[in-house]
Amino acid sequence: MGGLRRSLRDAVRKLAYNTSVDQLKKSGIKKVNVLGIDRIVGLIDEAVNRSLRHKLLASEREEVVDATKEEFMKLLQSNRDLQASQDELLREKEQVEGEADGLRLELQQLSKKLEERLEEAETREQARYDSEDVAINRDIDMLFRELGTSGGSNAQTQEKVHALVTQLVSRERATAREEIESARSREFENMQRRIKKLQRSLDVTEKKLVEVSAMKDVETGIASLYREVQGLNAGTENVEKKKGLMDDIFKANLALQGGS
Amino acid sequence: MTEELDELEDLGGGGSAKNHGVLYIGMDLGTSRTSVSASNGVRETVYSMVGYPKDVVSRKLLKKDVLFGKEALEKRLSLDIYKPLEHGVLKNSTDPNSVEAKQIVQAAKDLISEAIRIAQPRKDELVYVVIGAPAQASLHNKEAIIEAARASVDSVMLCSEPFAVAYGLEMLENVLVIDIGAGTTDLCRMHGTMPEEADQITLDFAGDSVDAELSRLIKETCPGAQFSLQMVKEIKERNAFLGDPPKRVKVTLPVEGKPTEFDITDQVKDACSVLVDPIVQGLNRLISSFDPEFQANLRDRVLLAGGGSMINGLDTAIEEAMNRDLGGGKVIRCEEPIYGGANGALKIAHDMPEEYWEKLK
Repeated sequence: MGGLRRSLRDAVRKLAYNTSVDQLKKSGIKKVNVLGIDRIVGLIDEAVNRSLRHKLLASEREEVVDATKEEFMKLLQSNRDLQASQDELLREKEQVEGEADGLRLELQQLSKKLEERLEEAETREQARYDSEDVAINRDIDMLFRELGTSGGSNAQTQEKVHALVTQLVSRERATAREEIESARSREFENMQRRIKKLQRSLDVTEKKLVEVSAMKDVETGIASLYREVQGLNAGTENVEKKKGLMDDIFKANLALQGGS
Repeated sequence: MTEELDELEDLGGGGSAKNHGVLYIGMDLGTSRTSVSASNGVRETVYSMVGYPKDVVSRKLLKKDVLFGKEALEKRLSLDIYKPLEHGVLKNSTDPNSVEAKQIVQAAKDLISEAIRIAQPRKDELVYVVIGAPAQASLHNKEAIIEAARASVDSVMLCSEPFAVAYGLEMLENVLVIDIGAGTTDLCRMHGTMPEEADQITLDFAGDSVDAELSRLIKETCPGAQFSLQMVKEIKERNAFLGDPPKRVKVTLPVEGKPTEFDITDQVKDACSVLVDPIVQGLNRLISSFDPEFQANLRDRVLLAGGGSMINGLDTAIEEAMNRDLGGGKVIRCEEPIYGGANGALKIAHDMPEEYWEKLK
């Protein structure tokens, strides 16, 4: 009985809506009559009992009360189950959303990092070559200036030396660059593979998210009055006639559906 | 093996096991409206109209793959509209291989799914449905309706629509049911057993005939008035009457774009009267071919049901015509014309024994 009263209390609470004193004031309500939840539950209990007392014999009353209690508890349990599965869906949705967000972020960060690394490497290399070129040219100029003061060289020779040195340096750089690029391309390939993998995971997660969202949006529905299949019972009016009619309808449908 | 399969089904992606209850649904699948009454207290009706977006642009705009009822009607310019039931049966279903027929069947399936959806079943409940089909629907049509329904429910049965109305009202014998729909009017003689072919007559004079006649009369008598059949239908639903008018029927219709008021009281009355004579002739056939000893009982218990029975004064008009042609009669109006068929089908579903449902699964 305590369980039923608790459940009734829960049910009443669920059906009630919240409001504030301010909202009541705004609606022009200055005084309210307060009715405790125990009193409400008691009233429902009493009303049901009184109604049953008037309409049923004592033994029947007990049976009906027990059956009603049992049915009520079943209904509540089934509502709780439904609520739990809804909550579970919501949790799953939140989790999948989190996963998708994480994957999107990781993918974005990795792509940005790759882009930056490429740009940075290019800039750094170019800057290094530029400064090396300046230094080599400066050294050659200095050497020729020294040779010039000792009266040994001319501008044509200086130009040839410049060309020769540049050629040698470029060749060396090309070799070094090939080696570096080979190492770097392995790194980039790894990054690109990781990006592709992330993209695939993201696609899968997003698909799952759509499915979970669809499940979440499914209406929970309204419970039927019946827990079991009903059918005619002995006390039904014209029961024999109706049984015959049900039989006819069934046979017609069996013929129809068996042949379809 | 079967148990294993059942378990697999229960555990499968289809959702949770259906072990929490049984939802009975009674469905009245009509040309104009589809109504459902369910054992969870839901009673809903939807226009029997299904719309699919015409192209990618309209699909993107409407954000839906399929629209139903009023919504489909409102957005009909962007949709390919289907009314899958004509004269209460699936259109074109005599040639099931044509593209058009396949689309009609798909629309019927979608409409039945929608009707089930609006009954708000829970995922964990068995759904058992009885569908009221027109009294004289062909075997092929019945099969098509069953096929359309099977996709959405656990078990389904068809029954004669006028029989469902009578069963719902516990009128199992000595009653003549007139079920006026949009496409057909079904007459059915109930005498305590399942009505046979000879007990039922399906007439093509129904709500749509009134619309067509009213449309013709407005065209004839209201010069320049512009209107669509849908507008005429709405005028009829608001104002239909026979006998003395409860008030003058005045409507505003555009004439060359300018709203113009017309008094169409006489036209509405004349249009509604097209139903009376064919119904009385049908009644006459059913009464005169019945056991002479019980003919008077039948004549004195004529039940008027279906959306068409909402025509004000129709019961009196039929009674007057019966007095004139059949020497008397008494017409009782069904209290819930829109849901009479669905309520009766629901009652049949409730009374059907468990083993019958199981065998048809």
